[in-house]
Amino acid sequence: MNKPDLMQKSADTAVSFEKVTVERGGILILDSVSAIVPIGGCTAIIGPNGAGKTTMLLTLLGEVPYKGFIHATCNINGGCSKIGYVPQRFAFDRGIPVTVAEFLAMGIQKRPLWFGISNKIKKRSLEYLASVKSEHLAERKIGALSGGEMQRVLLALALQQEPDLLVLDEPASGVDFQGEYIFCELLDGLRREKGFTQLMVSHDLATVTHHATHVICLNHKVAAQGPPRQALTNETLTAIFGMHMGMVDSRSMPGGSATCSGPCCNKDQNA
Amino acid sequence: MPDLSPIYHIVAQLLPFECLQAGFMQQAMVGLILLAPMAAAMGVQVVNFRMSFFSDAISHSAFAGVALGLIFSINPHWTMPVFGLLVGLGIMAVQHKTTLSSDTIIGVFFSAVIAFGLAVVSRDRSVARDMQRFLYGDILTISNNDIIWLIALFIAFMIFQALSYNRLLYIGLNSTLAKAHSIRVATYQYYFAGLLALIVMFSVWAVGVLLVTALLIVPAAAARNFARSAGSMFWWSLIISITSAIAGLIISAQDWATTATGATIILVACFWFIISVIASFIRRDSIR
Ligand SMILES: Nc1ncnc2c1ncn2[C@@H]1O[C@H](COP(=O)(O)OP(=O)(O)OP(=O)(O)O)[C@@H](O)[C@H]1O
Ligand SMILES: [Mg+2]
Repeated sequence: MNKPDLMQKSADTAVSFEKVTVERGGILILDSVSAIVPIGGCTAIIGPNGAGKTTMLLTLLGEVPYKGFIHATCNINGGCSKIGYVPQRFAFDRGIPVTVAEFLAMGIQKRPLWFGISNKIKKRSLEYLASVKSEHLAERKIGALSGGEMQRVLLALALQQEPDLLVLDEPASGVDFQGEYIFCELLDGLRREKGFTQLMVSHDLATVTHHATHVICLNHKVAAQGPPRQALTNETLTAIFGMHMGMVDSRSMPGGSATCSGPCCNKDQNA
Repeated sequence: MPDLSPIYHIVAQLLPFECLQAGFMQQAMVGLILLAPMAAAMGVQVVNFRMSFFSDAISHSAFAGVALGLIFSINPHWTMPVFGLLVGLGIMAVQHKTTLSSDTIIGVFFSAVIAFGLAVVSRDRSVARDMQRFLYGDILTISNNDIIWLIALFIAFMIFQALSYNRLLYIGLNSTLAKAHSIRVATYQYYFAGLLALIVMFSVWAVGVLLVTALLIVPAAAARNFARSAGSMFWWSLIISITSAIAGLIISAQDWATTATGATIILVACFWFIISVIASFIRRDSIR
């Protein structure tokens, strides 16, 4: 699955949304959304605030009731048991004395935390923390982390699930430029290595054009979907954002200094 | 029925206070040493889940539980915990099935069980006198039988905590994330609510309806201030609750005190809390 075939056949689809409709308090948040997430690729959902992007991810996670169908077949067995999720806003009680190491252990360790963290799990957690360049945070309390640090720890937590499908809701929000670059590079690298499917919400068109292999433009309805260069036309962007955005030059990373070497940044593949 | 007198004997040996030579005091001490850590450890999660209002509602359903027993002439010792369990699971089920806020749901249950209890009590004057026991607690009359039930509950509690402490922490931090990472959130929540309801009902005997929530919350809140990790929070809550229970019972039996046992235990726990606040100030690494 290193080179995803962009002319999708259904066997290459990790998740397909079929006429998914979500209504809350009489307001249509998702209006008959049909979209696919190609297997092994990096799919980005873009759209303005309140477009229903987070809601679309939550329907997939089973947190929001919906009408329609969602088929998730992101592993060879035809299921989608392992999902890693990085929420947009991680609301938690900051007074709680939980260390980052415990935070990473609590989902996978059987032995209760009051008997400490087993060496094996500690080592594993440190490896995942190192992969997001945050091993120095292991003994800190999670309530004492900055927004960007928390975001990295959450990514480590999601990766630790060894997911078939990694769902990220604006993962780079609050992460500094270097962090954002690490996020995208890291995810591209891991995706190549482990072959998971990535589904993310992003506001940053530059990130999307560089990293996504597939884009879903959403504003309650699907305005367009497909490879970034085909989906992100001026008309589509005007349609969903309501004004002329213009196409982002795919050569410039935010800040203009770094270039992405991930497989999906390759222009030939995106075109 | 198993003979528990060796246990009472050990308690009297370990705590050589004059007041602990009486058999009923030894029973009360064993009952408290079983009950207090259960309440405190569950309290850690009650604080994490912000469920103190939930435990309040359960404890106040004690009235209605006793009233039901009187109506159907069943021993209130049975109707009280069973009714509490049903109310707890009922609240959980309604929370899962509707989009109403949990405060609203619990508030409705709360009013219903209190109104029902009061309605029955107001019909029957003789019951009204009995109700005092539930307001202030009555640990000194705990029977051998009650202690055997407490031991059974304690074993269930230890198994549950050993299996679910980590996952409950996950759910308490953020249930959406826990669910996405394939933790069976609803199952854990139901088991937790059921066990909590039973422990709350037993605690009503010990400290009375008014102070049950304090028995859960105060040691857990102090433990939060002392602990530097989620693991040590558990141990701190156990230490604080057991020492409060022992000290509370002994103080309440002194001639100069002769206070209600439940209230004295809570006062000692509150004293622990004040120390914990000072300690966290001194450490200055606490958030908030
Ligand atoms: N729990 C809820 N109950 C009712 N309406 C909701 C709820 N959650 C979200 N909404 C509504 O659904 C719409 C879409 O919300 P959603 O969070 O999916 O937007 P989004 O595309 O993720 O926006 P953003 O870019 O700001 O994150 C919004 O209009 C919001 O008001
Ligand atoms: Mg959102």
